[in-house]
Amino acid sequence: MNRSVSLVAAVFLACLSGLFGCGKGESPQGFHIGVITSLTGSTAAFGQAHKNGYTIALAEVNAKGGVLGKPVVLDYYDDQSKPDQAVQGVSKLVDQNHVSIILGAYSSENTRAIVPVVTQKQVVLLMPTATADNVMETGSPWAFRICAGSGAYATATLDFLQHNGAPKTIAVVYENTNFGQSNEKSMVDAAKAAGLDVVDTEAYQASSPDYKALLQRVKSKNPEAIYFASYLLDASTLMRQAEQVGLNPKYYTSAGTGFAAAEFATFDKGAGKNAEYTFSVSQWLPTAKWNGSKEFDEQFFKNTGAHPAYHAMEAYASLITAAAVINQAKSADSTAIRDALRQINLPDTPFGPVKFDSKGQNQHPVLITQVLGGQYKVVWPPDAAEAKPVIPAPPWNKR
Amino acid sequence: MDAFFSALQAILNGLLTGALYALIGMGMALIFGVMRIVNFAHGTFLMLGMYATYFIFVKTGLNPYFGFILASGFLFCLGYLVYRVLLRHMPVQSDFMQILLTLGLALIFTDAIQLTFGADYHQINLPLLAKNVHLGSHISLNAPWLVSFALAVVLGSGMYWFVMHTMIGRAARAIAQNPYASPLVGINVHRVQAVSFGLGVAGAGIAGGLLLPVFYIYPTVGDQFTLKAFVIVVLGGMGSIQGAAVAGLVLGVVENLTSLYWGNEWALAVDFVIFLLVLSLRPSGIFGSQRV
Repeated sequence: MNRSVSLVAAVFLACLSGLFGCGKGESPQGFHIGVITSLTGSTAAFGQAHKNGYTIALAEVNAKGGVLGKPVVLDYYDDQSKPDQAVQGVSKLVDQNHVSIILGAYSSENTRAIVPVVTQKQVVLLMPTATADNVMETGSPWAFRICAGSGAYATATLDFLQHNGAPKTIAVVYENTNFGQSNEKSMVDAAKAAGLDVVDTEAYQASSPDYKALLQRVKSKNPEAIYFASYLLDASTLMRQAEQVGLNPKYYTSAGTGFAAAEFATFDKGAGKNAEYTFSVSQWLPTAKWNGSKEFDEQFFKNTGAHPAYHAMEAYASLITAAAVINQAKSADSTAIRDALRQINLPDTPFGPVKFDSKGQNQHPVLITQVLGGQYKVVWPPDAAEAKPVIPAPPWNKR
Repeated sequence: MDAFFSALQAILNGLLTGALYALIGMGMALIFGVMRIVNFAHGTFLMLGMYATYFIFVKTGLNPYFGFILASGFLFCLGYLVYRVLLRHMPVQSDFMQILLTLGLALIFTDAIQLTFGADYHQINLPLLAKNVHLGSHISLNAPWLVSFALAVVLGSGMYWFVMHTMIGRAARAIAQNPYASPLVGINVHRVQAVSFGLGVAGAGIAGGLLLPVFYIYPTVGDQFTLKAFVIVVLGGMGSIQGAAVAGLVLGVVENLTSLYWGNEWALAVDFVIFLLVLSLRPSGIFGSQRV
């Protein structure tokens, strides 16, 4: 009895799906695009920024008629800030939702985990925020990245340092997953090539309440500059405890992320005044010169009551790009979308020009910012600078 | 001389952290000693203590150094109820079901908090956080950690006194020694176990409340502390609460010294190396096998 009921149900469902006969990524609701990000877990703050960025882009794309004549529907998958969940997300989005393009994930760790899976399943992956360069080093023809990577971060930071006092020694402090490790490697290689002495490298476990001993170690090596690769919660804790142990380098520099998050310089959700004078790389700011930056900032503020950092913009830019690409491909087929991504040239987006090189990397410029008076101010390169950098950072007991 | 002072600084910082570890471990040890329950939800109860303290602070503005008392009272009641409603009905000696039950509780509480407060993190910034106490020119200690340390020492000693010198504490120790004979001498086993479970949970809650001012909260923040609590209980001798207290302090110092001499990435590894060494070489714990 039971068996025959399930048989009938299965046949019925099979007929039903045949009836609609939708192609890949399409359903009566519209055209589905997969999104994997960290809506919960330790990097949820960034996942939320992603979602806020996607929301603005989605409204914009659909107001202009969507893609292939259908409204875009975003299928979110929350990876809970864990790589294994991100991998499951690909399976679900591809096997059940039948998407042909996925945007995500948030972290480098999770993005690195899904590259082999999208390659195997032959769907397009457009990465908004993963800066670790190894996400692009698999040679997968399906992987595209809209943000600049760790190598570009290190080069930009060193360029800034060389032109602003040229410190001789540097220490690298990094969280011990793909994002931190990759930025550490890029910085150590680039610093050595630029003739700096790397006096210390310190890995740490993010989510620990106590980094004082680590900072003591750095202090004993007495570097002129420190380069941090940190997420948000650890960045705040590190800067608070830097004061506690009296760590006083001339430059606090960083690979963005935690040090560039909008919350970092706030009292309620970040390091407050301890964020002051820290340098960070940045991919975008509300004051960026590109058309639409200001409007994006205004819309974001209207939706959330806060100003965006570059993570939200990168998510926005990914979806805008994806929509443009699908329309250009005139097809929901992942191979057609992939080939269109290689050809796409969007000279004027709020995130700047978008054009992918043969490896799938968008050539995006990197800015250097400094927290001054609780605000991120661009201090480098000179043609984009809004303020003069304050060097050296005043010692903690003189602040 | 610098090397001496940096070691001293690390040891002092280790003791400050260790006092909170000690509270967490003592709660776990009490529960294990009296009930032979391995509480996989221990870190979750710590997280609940943090959220309760945070909630009280946000709603009433009550300083977390007072708010944690209310929060731990709440956790005591919660622990008491969890025992009365759930654990009591577990078949005796069904370790596997106890593990499943506490793991299930951990998931339920974590998801409930996520539904109520969201997955986003929160922190509170007390003005005290910016205060550092300087001892000479080399040593500086952060004021909130010092306050937490002092409170943890007082409350930890109080917990020890309670178990050693009150009627209920004696009854709890009697149950730990022989769960079958104790009802014969007139001990109300279920009531005493419920109080012990509540007290153990409150210990985790207190540690959470004291950790709140120097840390941040999100729904899964407690998970790392469940693992730490295991290490502490094993190191201190299964179920010995004074052993757990010392083990907590030792663990804090060892972590800080490891971090200072080998680097922070080894601190967690050392935890588990200790765990494995003690389990394989001296399963009764480094302080002997004296139980609650």
